[in-house]
Amino acid sequence: MTFLGMSAVLAGSLLAATGAVVGFLYWLKPPARRLVVPSRLLWNRLLREKRKSSILDRLRWLISLMIALFIGLSVATAIGRPEASTTGLDTRAITIVIDNSATMSTRMSDGFTRWDHAVEHARRLLQGRSADGEFLIVDTSGQAPPTAPGQRPEAFDVLAGLTVSLGGDPRFPTVPNSDADLFFISDGVLVNDVPDEAIVIPVFQPADNVGITAFAIDLVPSGPLTYQAFLEVTNASSTAKEVSVRLSGTGGPGRRYDVTLRAGESQVRSIDLSSFDRGAVRATVISNGDAFVADDHAYGFLPVQRATRVALITRGSVYLESALAAEGRLALDVLTPDQYAAGVVADVYIFDRFAPSTAPPGPSLLFMPPDAPWLARTTEILSTPEVAGWDVEHPLLQFVSLVDLRIDRAARIALPSRSNEASGGLENRPPGSVDVVVGTRELPLMVASEASERAVRVSFALDDSNFPLQPGFPIFLTNALGWLMGERVALSSFPGRIEVPVLMAEVVDLQGNEMATWPLPDRTVFAAPEPGLYTVAGSSRRLRVAVNLTSRRHSSVNASTFGFDAESSPIEVPFPGSEDGGAPELWVLLLVIATVLVLGEWFTYHRRLTV
Amino acid sequence: MTEQGTLFDDDFLKKLEYLKVVSGQMIPGHMHGEHRAKKKTDSGIEFADYRQYVSGEDTKNVDWRTYLRHDKLILRIFEEDADLPIYIFFDASKSMDYGTPLKFDYARKIAAALCYIGLLNQDRVNLVGYADGIAQELSARRGKNQVWNSFRFLESVEPRGTTSMEKAIKNFFSARRRRGLVVVVSDFFDESGFEKAFDMLRYFRQDLFAVHIHSTDEAHPELPDEVLLEDSELGTTERIKVTPALLDAYAEKFEEHCDQVGNYCRKNGWGYVRATTDVPFEDLILRVFRQGRFLG
Repeated sequence: MTFLGMSAVLAGSLLAATGAVVGFLYWLKPPARRLVVPSRLLWNRLLREKRKSSILDRLRWLISLMIALFIGLSVATAIGRPEASTTGLDTRAITIVIDNSATMSTRMSDGFTRWDHAVEHARRLLQGRSADGEFLIVDTSGQAPPTAPGQRPEAFDVLAGLTVSLGGDPRFPTVPNSDADLFFISDGVLVNDVPDEAIVIPVFQPADNVGITAFAIDLVPSGPLTYQAFLEVTNASSTAKEVSVRLSGTGGPGRRYDVTLRAGESQVRSIDLSSFDRGAVRATVISNGDAFVADDHAYGFLPVQRATRVALITRGSVYLESALAAEGRLALDVLTPDQYAAGVVADVYIFDRFAPSTAPPGPSLLFMPPDAPWLARTTEILSTPEVAGWDVEHPLLQFVSLVDLRIDRAARIALPSRSNEASGGLENRPPGSVDVVVGTRELPLMVASEASERAVRVSFALDDSNFPLQPGFPIFLTNALGWLMGERVALSSFPGRIEVPVLMAEVVDLQGNEMATWPLPDRTVFAAPEPGLYTVAGSSRRLRVAVNLTSRRHSSVNASTFGFDAESSPIEVPFPGSEDGGAPELWVLLLVIATVLVLGEWFTYHRRLTV
Repeated sequence: MTEQGTLFDDDFLKKLEYLKVVSGQMIPGHMHGEHRAKKKTDSGIEFADYRQYVSGEDTKNVDWRTYLRHDKLILRIFEEDADLPIYIFFDASKSMDYGTPLKFDYARKIAAALCYIGLLNQDRVNLVGYADGIAQELSARRGKNQVWNSFRFLESVEPRGTTSMEKAIKNFFSARRRRGLVVVVSDFFDESGFEKAFDMLRYFRQDLFAVHIHSTDEAHPELPDEVLLEDSELGTTERIKVTPALLDAYAEKFEEHCDQVGNYCRKNGWGYVRATTDVPFEDLILRVFRQGRFLG
């Protein structure tokens, strides 16, 4: 027997002390009361007869002492939280890696999920080992990171705290104890890097699944004020499926279409959203026998479908004016610096060789601005600077080539140190960070920053370069305006831990439930366990995050490396509520026995059966 | 009736008057006009009857006038009062000094009541307090005017010592006593046993009426788990571990003890009543009367 609550020595001392105290208390019984009776004549006759027969009466004291000792020792033992070392069971250490990746939430033919079966397997493995062994439960999503092995109850606690993690990058963890028996319970879909020494317990069973594998809301190229939903639906089942796709939004009737998808087939559709008002858009696929629900819904956010108001403040720039005028989705307002000072309201501000003394109230694009208090300082003017490089991954330069870019004159600006920068989990950067998009950190020619408002600063004038003559210039302008207005559409993310570039933000889901957040110095982290549209509200910014499990990899619930053996049917999982939860712990049993004995002793004492 | 102690208070005396009336109704002819049964003799004063002369009898009472008129020898018979000696033995041992009310007080009230009725009936009443022999004795009295003497005597007796009814009976009846009714009021806790004493009464051809009294908790004691029992008469102690079974057995033993006394009396045609001290003493006296022996 092992004691979980204290050391064996302490437990032994406690038991000995309890026994001694009980014995002492019995030895200390108060002296008999003296009672005068008229005559002991009858008592004497009676006792003469009783002494011959009543052995039990003489044992009453001893029996009572034994019961009291048992009660005391039971309670003392229970305090030590004993656990029986089940004789005959395996005493070796055991490490169980349990797969809690997204596909483990796939429902099986018995109505339970693969995860339910995995947990039951793990529970039985734990119970099948001797309590003297060492136990470790580790998962593939980092909820239970590898630690030192512990006692069985701790392993049960860890197991009870694990849930399926829809997001993240599930992988087989590095387990610490190589001597322990290593078991891996998985469906073999998302976690494949299993070491050879691991004993795999598959919980895979083929299942039907039709899911949304891609979903995005974006502008229609041909209609700059029109948004479309781009939707990809994949049938990951082994048979053809009749699928009903529904799209619902704000203000308009929902869209619905039915389609038949062959096994493994994907279908992409663009759906016009012009009938919807600004707000959340939800796509749903419905198919018969769908076993994996996490990919059946996808969310997006539809911005206001109107022209973007652009204020161009310039003393005259034919390139900018003509390029912006060609953008159909813009409402262009060309102003001189003097007119800007009188006040203007726009969605985006473009400053050409001008900068106001204070930052504009919205996102801005600046071409070789003079020094201003809210801008990085210009240190020198350079002639024919070399374009050392550019960030092809940056949204500003998407489909833009700068190979032939020539610059006659540019300003060198003093960027803030890198310590002020931080990396983010989304396509945005944390507030205050500055990305060098073109050039180097020593000679930045184009930087993108995210302070309270986004800003793009180009360190050269268009007239001092051949940039406006490049074919990518209009694309750059489109990218720049899109990035500057980027907050208007929802950010996208997988379920799980999400970082947003908003300080001290509050996050609510579509139903208005407030999510738990963890504020960091330069951003806010929150957990989105399920797909949905989350609204992040900070003091200066408001973001929407569309959390979707749109991935062919996740939807392919049958892509198991284990295969399926129909004869090795899954173990039976007890119904929630009907399961006995295993045998009660020994200390509970001891306390129950002690309670029963106390009640019994109380009864027999008052019946004078015991002393 | 103005002289009275704490034991025999006004309330007690009122109950005695009540008993006097009730006993007269229960046994018609016995209590009216302080009447006593008369025995017919040839030497009395009051003429009672005639009867045939039998040869050899004294001719002193032959009615010669009748002889001359009818030529028959007829004897005149006279009546004479026949008083009944009543010997009231009440237990004055230490074991009677127990209970609420005290068994001894209860016994004295019963003795007083029976004494009162006896004196009213012109019987000769002896009061004997006994313990280990005769403790105190009030010799035979007769007549109503002896009531207060008797009560004072009863009040003067204190319970003490062990019990030996045999010794008391033996001492008392070793002197010549007339046949009469012996009333014993006791708890009958006697180490030497009550049988020898009763046998002795039978030997002396006395009639017996046993009044067995005890307190309620004597029959069904409530004792703690462990108790040191002290005998009130002997002062000896014994440690006892009390169990429900033991208490039940004691109650059985007590009943057995009472039954033994009762059966012994019934077997010899004697009267026996048993009562706990919480029964009003007048009720007990009425039960005595109902048995029809005391005034028979």
